[in-house]
Amino acid sequence: MNIMECKNIQLIKNDQTILHDISFSIEAGDSICILGPSGSGKSSLFRLLNMLITPNQGEIIYRNKHLQEYAPTELRRKVSYVLQKPYLFGSKVEENLLYPYQLLNQKPNLHEIDNYLTQVNLSTAILQKKNTALSGGEQQRIALIRSLLIKPEIILLDEVTAALDEENTLLLEKLILNEQQNHNIALLFITHNNSQAKRLAKKILYLKAGRMDFFVNATDYFFNTGGNDE
Amino acid sequence: MSNLALVLTFSLVLLSLALSYKEKLGLEKDMLIASMRAVVQLTIIGFILKFVFALDNLFFTTLILLIMVYNASTVAAKRGKGIEKVSLISFIAILSGLTVTLGGLISFQAIPYEPSQVIPISGMVVGNSMVATSLLFKSLLNNFQNKKDEIEVKLCLGAPPKEASRDLIRDSIKTAMLPTFDSMKTLGIVQLPGMMTGLILAGVAPESAIKYQIMVAFMLSGAVSVSSFVASYWAYRGFFNKLAQLKEL
Repeated sequence: MNIMECKNIQLIKNDQTILHDISFSIEAGDSICILGPSGSGKSSLFRLLNMLITPNQGEIIYRNKHLQEYAPTELRRKVSYVLQKPYLFGSKVEENLLYPYQLLNQKPNLHEIDNYLTQVNLSTAILQKKNTALSGGEQQRIALIRSLLIKPEIILLDEVTAALDEENTLLLEKLILNEQQNHNIALLFITHNNSQAKRLAKKILYLKAGRMDFFVNATDYFFNTGGNDE
Repeated sequence: MSNLALVLTFSLVLLSLALSYKEKLGLEKDMLIASMRAVVQLTIIGFILKFVFALDNLFFTTLILLIMVYNASTVAAKRGKGIEKVSLISFIAILSGLTVTLGGLISFQAIPYEPSQVIPISGMVVGNSMVATSLLFKSLLNNFQNKKDEIEVKLCLGAPPKEASRDLIRDSIKTAMLPTFDSMKTLGIVQLPGMMTGLILAGVAPESAIKYQIMVAFMLSGAVSVSSFVASYWAYRGFFNKLAQLKEL
């Protein structure tokens, strides 16, 4: 079942067309890898889906309603976007993981936080640590958990493992796969790591100079290209 | 003080001019213009105040206060170039600071609504609110430029613009209010402030002068706080569009 659909999206910035005529749909539990060279419009596409920007033409439909019909806060909690740079705010890790509950007006569920931390080999002791005392890998794990605590239906991961070593990359992937299995969330991710695309993707959307080159099943893509194209 | 004594104090400006000339600072023209402007502006305001005090008209006094607020808001708004509706925000913020503090002082019967009392007091309130509002605008612009990542991360999580900007707003309010509170902390230790100095020079007993100075310190803290809050919680909205997206600065 389609939960989100992009129809003929065009995005223009500073008189330059960033995205041309992009159309595709996202199903519940989907796992779509966005591939393409740098500057092909991958991050801009995510910013559109998270409603941080608005397309100049075309429409994006989420659960049978246009994006503009939603309150931006409501939409962004359903379609969560995790940036490449794991920005942690405040001074302590705790502030970041309690923030989602504050936004959702809920009592903090420490058991839930503990459960997520355990899945990525972290303990609750990290909550009292200063953000600056964390390694890049730890920061990215916290940033991902922070987004998952919002309980999105679609999660957009923008090269979140780009600066991580293999061990940290696999930990994040494990968390994402668990989340998909348990909550059937749809995953869209940008990566330049072909092995990661092979491990996680069900579909490949390839962008080239802002145009959608193809949108195919991952098995077909890797069978045809041998996975060496990107 | 005799007029001759006043004229002789101009020798201190001449000293500055000589130093500037010797050190090739190139400030001679500015110094001359500034001292001439000070003389002309203060002479004019002296006559205006004499006229307004003698008139003692409620409408006219209020008009003078509004002109003061307008001038101050124009200066503060220049620091906030790029902020939506900055002139209006600046005017309302400074006016709010003045209304609350003046309203308080009059209702507590600290001063009557008479031009000779209200105008000098308002001058201090408006001047301090102007500095606070200028600092606030500058800090908000800096924060929204330099901490864009923090705001976007919070927006991505579904935070409303106000919530996403809260830390930046708080930081800007602090920046705006700190000079007033710092100078309050050093009152009497580092500086004898203007009003108290003026009263003592005019022959008022120091123990009476401090009462006025304490009142001024309290009213300035109130005015600066109100102006900063009004300006920040109104101005931040201009950094977002209707879809809670950050605008390009």
